[in-house]
Amino acid sequence: MSLIYLLVGSVLGVSAMVLINAWLGISRSACLTDLEDAARRLDADRVGFDAGDGVLAVDGEGALIAERSGDCLGLLIARGSDFVIRYLVPGSVRDAVIEDGNSVRLRLNDFVFAPAKLRFETADEAMIWANRLSAFQPAGRS
Amino acid sequence: MEVPAFVQNWNPITLAIPFFTLSVFAEMIHARLTGKTRFETRDTASSLIMGLGNNVSGIIFGLLLGGWSVFVYENRLMDISFAWWVWVIAVFLDDFLYYWSHRFAHTVRWFWADHVVHHSSQHYNLTTALRQPWISPFTLKFLWLGSAMVFLGFHPAMVAFVGAMNLIYQFWIHTEAIKKCPAWFEAVMNTPSHHRVHHATNPIYLDRNYAGIFIIWDKMFGTYQVERDDEPCRYGIVKNLGTFNPIKICLHEWMGIVKDMAGAKSLKDAAMYLLAPPGWSPDGSRETSKRIKAKWQARQETAENAEVEAAE
Repeated sequence: MSLIYLLVGSVLGVSAMVLINAWLGISRSACLTDLEDAARRLDADRVGFDAGDGVLAVDGEGALIAERSGDCLGLLIARGSDFVIRYLVPGSVRDAVIEDGNSVRLRLNDFVFAPAKLRFETADEAMIWANRLSAFQPAGRS
Repeated sequence: MEVPAFVQNWNPITLAIPFFTLSVFAEMIHARLTGKTRFETRDTASSLIMGLGNNVSGIIFGLLLGGWSVFVYENRLMDISFAWWVWVIAVFLDDFLYYWSHRFAHTVRWFWADHVVHHSSQHYNLTTALRQPWISPFTLKFLWLGSAMVFLGFHPAMVAFVGAMNLIYQFWIHTEAIKKCPAWFEAVMNTPSHHRVHHATNPIYLDRNYAGIFIIWDKMFGTYQVERDDEPCRYGIVKNLGTFNPIKICLHEWMGIVKDMAGAKSLKDAAMYLLAPPGWSPDGSRETSKRIKAKWQARQETAENAEVEAAE
């Protein structure tokens, strides 16, 4: 019986801690200041990442930067108060679909990468980057 | 052998739960007041659910591990008492074994699959200490490293007790709220500063500071790295997870191993996917910590040489 009390108490304790975390408002969304900020983060993450052209999401919550060699596309996506980085190569992308005109909903062939949404300034820009991302779909799917 | 009453009646971890809870609340309030510690609600929830699951798994696997301990103790090398000085030796020996077990947990992918759970948060706060795996017995480390002291003759209850004390000690060092402790303490003990280095993915910090309670083991075995003011810690793992889903956090590396082994072209490659350091691949297309550090070191040297040439 004491084991059940312990488990119930633990569940209540966990719930209280999560609720207080939310209530205190201490979570901050990660935000990129500019494309240079994104390139710096990619270089810190992968030593020697040579940034080429790229695009910053309008809300600063994501960026795409091609490596100058053309070997891969660096992706930064805000996940809560930090960024998750992926280096996209052929086969990495499951699909990249235009949503709401100027956004791209991106899914990767990556078990632990939840779908991401990149918001662009214009519909044309969204289309260009959706096409570039789709080029990284497995052969025969793009 | 008669087991002391306090060992029989006290479960240190159960007793520590109120302390853990109050400390997390205090750190959250500190974060709110100073902004010096980072929290993210979904990350906090994931870490705490992992901690809760770890407790449940401890109950489920407890019978298996307890039974194994009794079996090993029945075949022990010698009889060791509960004298006070035996407790002192037990604490040091347990921490020494923890160092090696922890080091293997970072350098052998089979063991990393379990331990990666603890490192999978990009935050570093007291809830990170509670982010623990659910299926640790799958590493089978309990058969050897986990049984070494019992095989020597230390009573299983004593080994469990000092092991729990080690885990409790490690709780408070998972914080950014404490910058440095007094110099004498930093020299001997594991501290928040030393352990921040351990959780960081900056190349200079990779695979460093494996200590549990005493940092001396890292200094003795060449894995010590001091936290540098010019190199702020970036927490997490080399390829950070893009999810807060506890099931995925628990299983992702195990699934990666199974996938890699299933696709291996030879038995040797399959074995290496399991036993080589994380990041190993037959064609070298992935990066191990060693390779990441080497690339970073080479760049540092190039930059330093350029600075010297410019000065001349």
